Amino acid sequence: MRLAVAGGGETESSAAGAVIQARLGRPPQDALEAAVVLEAWGGLPAAAALRAGPRVLSSKMLPSRPQRWRSDDQEGRRAVLAEGIGLLVAILSIAALAGPLSDELGNATFERALRVALPLTLALQWALRSRYLGRRSGIACLGGDWVAVCAIALAIAGGLVAIPGWGAVAAMLAAVWVGGTVLARRGWGLAYAGLLVLATVGMLVGLPAVETLAALTGVTLLGVVIAVRTARVTGLAMPGTVGRALAAGAIGALLGILLIGDPSLGWGIHGAFPALALVPSVVGSFWGGYHLWQFHDEVPRRMRGVELSRASATMARGPATDIVLAALARLVGITLALSLVVAFIGEWTEGTDSASLFVGFGCAALVCLFVSLLESLGCVRWAMTCAIVSVAVELVVAHVLQPPVAGAGLIAGGTVGTVLAIAPLVGLLRSPGRVLATTLWIR
Amino acid sequence: MSGRRAPTILLSTEGTYPFAVGGVSAWCHVVVGGLSDYRWEVVPIHAGAVRPAYAYELPPNARLAGRIDLWSERLPRHVRTGRHRRATWPRLPAILARTLMGWRRDPIALVDALAWCRTHAEAVRPTFRSLEAWELFIVALERVVAERHPDSGPPPELDAVDAASLYQRLYWVARTAAEPTPPCDLLHVTAAGWAAIPALVHQRLYGTPMLLTEHGVYVREAYLAAARSQLGAGERFLSTRLARGLSLAAYGAADAIAPVTEANAAWEVGLGVDANKVCVIHNGIPAPLECDAPPGQALVVSVGRIDPLKDIQTMLRVAAEVCRRMPQARFEHWGPPTRGQEPYARACEQLRRQLGLGERFMFMGPTTTPDAVLRRADVVLLTSISEGMPMAILEAMAQGRAVVATGVGGVPDVLRGCGVVVPSGDVEGLATGVTTLLRDRDFAARLGRHAFDRACERYTQSLCIDRYRTLFDDLISYTPTPKLEPAAA
Repeated sequence: MRLAVAGGGETESSAAGAVIQARLGRPPQDALEAAVVLEAWGGLPAAAALRAGPRVLSSKMLPSRPQRWRSDDQEGRRAVLAEGIGLLVAILSIAALAGPLSDELGNATFERALRVALPLTLALQWALRSRYLGRRSGIACLGGDWVAVCAIALAIAGGLVAIPGWGAVAAMLAAVWVGGTVLARRGWGLAYAGLLVLATVGMLVGLPAVETLAALTGVTLLGVVIAVRTARVTGLAMPGTVGRALAAGAIGALLGILLIGDPSLGWGIHGAFPALALVPSVVGSFWGGYHLWQFHDEVPRRMRGVELSRASATMARGPATDIVLAALARLVGITLALSLVVAFIGEWTEGTDSASLFVGFGCAALVCLFVSLLESLGCVRWAMTCAIVSVAVELVVAHVLQPPVAGAGLIAGGTVGTVLAIAPLVGLLRSPGRVLATTLWIR
Repeated sequence: MSGRRAPTILLSTEGTYPFAVGGVSAWCHVVVGGLSDYRWEVVPIHAGAVRPAYAYELPPNARLAGRIDLWSERLPRHVRTGRHRRATWPRLPAILARTLMGWRRDPIALVDALAWCRTHAEAVRPTFRSLEAWELFIVALERVVAERHPDSGPPPELDAVDAASLYQRLYWVARTAAEPTPPCDLLHVTAAGWAAIPALVHQRLYGTPMLLTEHGVYVREAYLAAARSQLGAGERFLSTRLARGLSLAAYGAADAIAPVTEANAAWEVGLGVDANKVCVIHNGIPAPLECDAPPGQALVVSVGRIDPLKDIQTMLRVAAEVCRRMPQARFEHWGPPTRGQEPYARACEQLRRQLGLGERFMFMGPTTTPDAVLRRADVVLLTSISEGMPMAILEAMAQGRAVVATGVGGVPDVLRGCGVVVPSGDVEGLATGVTTLLRDRDFAARLGRHAFDRACERYTQSLCIDRYRTLFDDLISYTPTPKLEPAAA
């Protein structure tokens, strides 16, 4: 429909209104929108359209009818899932590989290797997740920086291998676990698990443990190269910032140190037990963390339709608080239930260690959950402070006070870190509108 | 210009040069490369969710002076400043909401707030993350919604997510303002939107003259995009009001505005720009050498991105109608989907199949040789609902091809006497134009010859470059007083 150049009469106005209604299916938002429609589809020159625009405005307030909130980041959720699977498989592999490796290397050597490899693995996993794996097309994104990533990996491996005795084993363990995270993120978690099972069976049937570990490392790294090279690119995603990745890596390293900082845990000395004791809290932490992933999705979804005047209101049980409490319940519930199962199996298999380890690892899982939440909300300094304080308290309790209870340092560190992390969250979560605007969407 | 320091021009772009192909990028490349006696500092504003890749290699007289990645996780630059420079200013988001989103303008407060972001770059993020800033912002937004003006219409009901979404956009406005700009003699802004923000601040701080070139009218395109989207009223309100606020700020601050077509000039004057500072400078193409007769293969070619603004779905319907009338007709569309418009491209492909066009309409992908592509055409088709001065049409004219196009933006002016112009969305009219020209090859050849002559006479690169050189020199020699009185932030 073409309009005559508007002269201002009622006929022209109603014709203009008809064009707008036909094109928009609703009244115009303002005079400018009316003018744009009249020029683009009504054939009016710009000046005439701008004059005609105000005459077709409605005086009724438009209902917003906002779209339902839709998440566009399913990949990120898969990343969390992948990391959880990777971590769980890595923990189980510690349990499985600990015996043969300890026998071949000696308890002290293996323990040293483990005490370095575990924090290093967590540091690299956190850093990789922050910069690449937690993002859309994360693997392809990692491939975009392959020169730098290879250089860093070689530098770390070179530094470790130069240490005689346990250095090479630590490097191989870290490579297998971090590589496993990448493979799981690529969707090859089952193949990776199969690889670990194969290596374990090989060791158990008498293959030399170190050589088998070296072969496992080689195959895992080859898998990583293939995974990165064949990753499907769905848009060249921007990696996270280097600063944020370094901070995440440091937090991961601190949490790793928290896990191995208490000498009463006996990594390597007590065979598979500490690793098995870690399984309940890892599964609990993973399920809680997986639920927490909804935070970025659920808060905007539940804030849709909350009127503007209540956007900055505080709510005792708002969506943000609900999600964190549910995640916490999952973590505690699963950790408790699985701890009982593992303890029962430990009794049945003549396990030799104290049940307080389960409590210690549970406390570590709690601090991991809250520190991770703080980091994802952009409160990086506070997250770092919590991790540092946790480690400091653990070291003081374990090395200075030396209580008789196994894992007491870890329990103390985890508890203090958790309380410290909860403090800023309590105030923040009570105002979901604020959480959404000032933390989730301004990182 | 020998013997004097080459003047420096700061060119700010938005989603175009040098990271994306398209008409605006091609124009930037021509102007930057053609005016080699100027030094160019290019500041691209880029959607930071994707990693940018160069689509154009910058000429030796140009360099990238920084890059602003909107929506990215990059933290504000670290500057060594005194304690007072890191102090937050909780009223900042509220002031931006009032001055950018309100129907009534307050350019002084807006530019002062943006300038504060530059001088307090490290304080921008803590400011926006503070509870007080959020609460003040909500109060300001409620006032904006309650504002009544005869032209503004009734506001929509906004909710908390709309508010948070706007808060995030304003944060990025502030972050864009906070990015440093190098010393320069002239600010050249290529769109009256986000690209204007660094220039507004630079002009406020140093009094540097500012030139705005509009290829499409920014605010008009924002309204068109919102009108065609499935967004709720609240989201539409936010996106269009922000575009309006940025555009009017750019119009108000620019010392000269150089739209690429008279049609854009009409919009700009209609939106309140002083007509005396508007100076139309048409796009240009390399001087055409010769034109040969159309090949007579009943081939219709279109060149352009696959984008809702190009209305490719209307093109498909036109093709279906033309093929119904002339089964031997063939259509080729050359050009990639615009980044982010992949779903639209898929919808177009689906429509192509639904219409049963088969091989009679082919999406050919990007081309690096548009001249060769256009030479193969008997008729060139353009179905856009918004255009500035489309390079595709100028290139078709330079090849002596008859054009059928929608009468949007500068198209009617360009094709006056040498093409067929039809209202946008008029499938029947466009199909009739194409069919007529395919059937009457002599008429098509005559139109193509007229188009070739007109391109040689009015739309060459040398004409375009000369006019910019004159305008640049005028603006650089003119020392404006600072636009605004300093205000204590």
